[in-house]
Amino acid sequence: MIGFIVRRLLATVPVMVVIGLFVFLLLHLAPGDPAAIIAGDNATPDSILAIRHQLGLDQSILVQFLRWSGRVLQGDLGISIFSQTPVITLIGQRIGPTVSLTLTTAVFSVSIAICIGVLAGWQAGGVLDRIVMAFAALGFSVPVFVVGYGLIYLFAIYLRWLPVQGYVSLERGLWPWFQHLILPSLALGLAYVALIARITRTAMLDVLSEDYIRTATAKGVAATPMLLHHALRNAAVPIVTVIGLGVALLIGGVVITETVFNIPGIGRLVVDAINQRDYPIVQGIILVFSGVYVLINLAVDISYLVLDPRIRS
Amino acid sequence: MEISRRKVVQSAIATGTLAAAGAPAIGRAQSAPPANRTIRAVMQGDLRSFDPIWTTANVTAYHGAMIYDMLFSIDAEFKPQPQMVDTWTVSDDKLTYTFVLRDGLAWHDGTKVTANDCVASIKRWSARDGGGQALMARTKSITAKDDKTFVIALNSPFGLVIDVLAKPSTPVCFMMPLKDAETDPNQQITGRTGSGPFIFNVAETKPGNRYVYDRNPHYVPRKEPASGMAGGKVVKVDRVIYENLADDQTALAALQTGEIDFFEVIPIDFLPQVKDDPDITVEILNKTGNVGFLGMNNLHSPFDKLQARQAMLYLVNQTDFLKASFGDSKYYRTCNSYFGCGTDMENDANTGWFKAAPDKAMAKKLFMESGYDGRPVVILQPSNFAFMNNAATILGQELTDIGVKVDLATSDWGGVITRRAVQAPVDKGGWDIFTTFSSGYTVANPVGYIGDATNGKNAWFGWPTDALNEKLRDEWATAPTLADRKTVARKIQENAWNVVPHAFLGQWVAPVAHRSNVKGWLAVPEVIPFWNVSKT
Amino acid sequence: MGKPINMRRFIRRNPTIVIGAIILIVLLVIAVLAPVISGDPQRLSPVERLRPPSAQHWFGTDNLGRDVFARTVWGGRISLLVGFSVAAFATVAGIGIGLLCYLSGWIEVVAMRIMDGLMAIPSILLAIALVSLSRASVGTVIIAITIPEIPRVTRLVRAVMLGVRERPFVEAATAGGSRPTKIMWRHILPATIPPLIVQATYSAASAILIEAGLSFLGAGTPPSIPTWGNMIAGSRIFLSAAPWAVFFPGVSLAVAVLAVNILGDGLRDRLDPRLSRRM
Repeated sequence: MIGFIVRRLLATVPVMVVIGLFVFLLLHLAPGDPAAIIAGDNATPDSILAIRHQLGLDQSILVQFLRWSGRVLQGDLGISIFSQTPVITLIGQRIGPTVSLTLTTAVFSVSIAICIGVLAGWQAGGVLDRIVMAFAALGFSVPVFVVGYGLIYLFAIYLRWLPVQGYVSLERGLWPWFQHLILPSLALGLAYVALIARITRTAMLDVLSEDYIRTATAKGVAATPMLLHHALRNAAVPIVTVIGLGVALLIGGVVITETVFNIPGIGRLVVDAINQRDYPIVQGIILVFSGVYVLINLAVDISYLVLDPRIRS
Repeated sequence: MEISRRKVVQSAIATGTLAAAGAPAIGRAQSAPPANRTIRAVMQGDLRSFDPIWTTANVTAYHGAMIYDMLFSIDAEFKPQPQMVDTWTVSDDKLTYTFVLRDGLAWHDGTKVTANDCVASIKRWSARDGGGQALMARTKSITAKDDKTFVIALNSPFGLVIDVLAKPSTPVCFMMPLKDAETDPNQQITGRTGSGPFIFNVAETKPGNRYVYDRNPHYVPRKEPASGMAGGKVVKVDRVIYENLADDQTALAALQTGEIDFFEVIPIDFLPQVKDDPDITVEILNKTGNVGFLGMNNLHSPFDKLQARQAMLYLVNQTDFLKASFGDSKYYRTCNSYFGCGTDMENDANTGWFKAAPDKAMAKKLFMESGYDGRPVVILQPSNFAFMNNAATILGQELTDIGVKVDLATSDWGGVITRRAVQAPVDKGGWDIFTTFSSGYTVANPVGYIGDATNGKNAWFGWPTDALNEKLRDEWATAPTLADRKTVARKIQENAWNVVPHAFLGQWVAPVAHRSNVKGWLAVPEVIPFWNVSKT
Repeated sequence: MGKPINMRRFIRRNPTIVIGAIILIVLLVIAVLAPVISGDPQRLSPVERLRPPSAQHWFGTDNLGRDVFARTVWGGRISLLVGFSVAAFATVAGIGIGLLCYLSGWIEVVAMRIMDGLMAIPSILLAIALVSLSRASVGTVIIAITIPEIPRVTRLVRAVMLGVRERPFVEAATAGGSRPTKIMWRHILPATIPPLIVQATYSAASAILIEAGLSFLGAGTPPSIPTWGNMIAGSRIFLSAAPWAVFFPGVSLAVAVLAVNILGDGLRDRLDPRLSRRM
């Protein structure tokens, strides 16, 4: 098992190299001059040249890449061209809201999804099942921002139950923090709920058709707890897989959700940075997001060993 | 209590930009002021640079007006009035200006503002500003005589000395401490210390999200009542927060529920939704508003030809551009003056074309006479700026209507300004048309407004060449009185509407929306002052 | 052949495939016939902006006075084009890379590392970066959405390949001296088709949604070319003044994505029972 983990860890190295190279080339081969953007609307060509030189943007791409990767290896993601703040610091300031949003979304969606998935599987073919499946299909089919506006209109403006926007850090209190995350998590989690509910339902159906369950039910063993136990156990591996794969989906949704609900997270930071051609931030964040993705999938692979003994062999 | 809090603020400032990492600990130690002493404002964009001399972004000038002070400022009638200056004199030959600073001026770290600080600040500012460059071209020396007195000595008379020091258009002549003022003008300053009515709270600020300003308890306002940016800057709240809220729909919702107090650029189409809300007030602070700008590439065909540029005057239907972006005619007007309408320099010289426009037949005739070869005209279209986005679409259609092929080059604003800087022809990455807008106040100043230069490749994007216009601009700069400048302005316009270095797309005012319990907003072009504003 | 009977049975057994396909065909027909059934989607007339639905403008007008009906119909062309192109390109590229991997172990190692790397980069960020950093066009958007889809397809192809490689008939063919290319065409490729068709429907559905998300962030198709996504995104600030400008493209988008998803579910159940168990 240790050997497996070490091998998987080593395998992430070339992946990170590919990501680094790709991100760097993507930004530097594309048109778009941060110097011109920094200089502002009324800048003269001379001042743009001066700024470009000052930022080292007039050097060859190879030199820029080597310098950049050398620094990254030392844990230095560079300094934002615009705010002159280290990228690490910026990410540190913005990581809280994004982690909060992703975690609440994950908890919300997994718990809601498992509940309705179990119900649907149990009542397979019934009205409840149809409703859940219809909801699941719809959940995949509406853009996140449309869901977001709908929730804001209903719960924040019409009913005035929840705030429209913003983020309050956890240290200002549990409820204020949570209150600001409810609507964004629901908006972001919808597609996730739909996905996981379907998987749970399928797992449930599988379990129901297993011989030992039929036997158990026939023998009159109290069905429900056992059913749940087996169903969830069976569903665990696919759900964990989806969580791993879904990180990318979630991160994509985070970018939009943070914009709709004005949450000062990493998603907003990177979108703003792309618009400003603030290369160090874009590179840094894509690297960090990719790293997180790689690590989570590593954790997922390892969790298979725990969840499903059959894979161990 | 008061002292300890101030110390906390100062220590945060002293550590400057690098404080951000350790900042939260300091931030927690402070208690936030109550809601009725705090104004939350959504401004036009994110505050990306803290150096109002280095960038021309308006929101950075807003930041500047919070923490820095000015030697002179314009009042509600756009007349310059002394602000940091107590008295000033000009010699009989109009060549020597002597300024004496008023008492009680201090930087946020407690040290006194000196004449040396001001001299260095003027020098740095003038390197980046059109008006400042015009001033320096005629300046022999700027020197500090003593702690409170400094002198500007000129080689030849310049009628606009006080005007350029007082103008609120970017870059604004803000006074900075010597350390920052001595920074290379092409580099950003690192300090955040000014002498203005607000202190920048580094600890509570989260770049890209919120920018926090606390009342400067030691600021000594002038005795005169506030008027425009002049008069006493009396701060009536404890804290102002610029919230960077990117989504307009969300900003509106937040204003409706009172989560924010001020929404600077509320889209006109939102106004019907807040019209009947007694808690929200809509008003116009920038009376001369903005003017839509149509830039043409004077270096290459077709717009290197006079007829093609003249054709655009006949082709542009200002009402369409204005209506498309600003809906309600209460907020826009067509304008034929080269200097914007409602400004000192507005006049009607050589505006015969305007009465005829839009005249597609005439436009087509002129355009074809220019020898148009059928190559698609490249219009730069920034997808993330509503006015320019719409303007490019409409221009595209108007050109198509007169038989000109069009290629809409859509990208984000970053892409547009990169491509806009390319002087090469279209097949080598250049362009033919771009749009933008400037404040009416700015376009009324042919010396300060960078878009008015016509010195070819050294001019602003579009690079028009016209010797007569250059001569007249110089004449305007040296004209001694307002009346003289108005006379020269007529001549400039007479010539400009013949050679058409650029054209305009109409004028509009952008109302701001705020909670009705937040009162005392001062009407100024280009800057949103937060002093004098109170909340009940 | 008793075709009518088979048809009826097919419909009864696969209602989702039939419903999804019918909706999709209707939408496709409307899109193809756009020039016939509607006017010019670009024609603007600011004086007539934000007019409610009327006999002249069935779906009302948007903020530039353009006809929402014409834009919805034409927008369907582009949105569906984006969906289908992404699915097609990603599938073709995925099969290509997957098969190359089959032929050469060396290529396999390199390609799979690149695929792992690409997969780790959040697709929407990659798309935003690609679109904002180059000129916005429908082509760029298609490429930007396709690239992150390729690794998913490649992995699927490879998974099927690994499975098939060990099947007795392939092992027999290999032992019998058949050339690898022949085995590839004969045995491997056909086995990948059913799961790929299912994967393609999901790619198409998500491409239409991602295009909408990109438009929302201002990094989508150029605003002058209507797509359902950029119509919703562009008119969202007029939601209360002119709900029709958001409603019609919004409903069209949801219906189209729903139809593609339903079709995909149906195909999955029919073509690939193993996959259906996993998803």
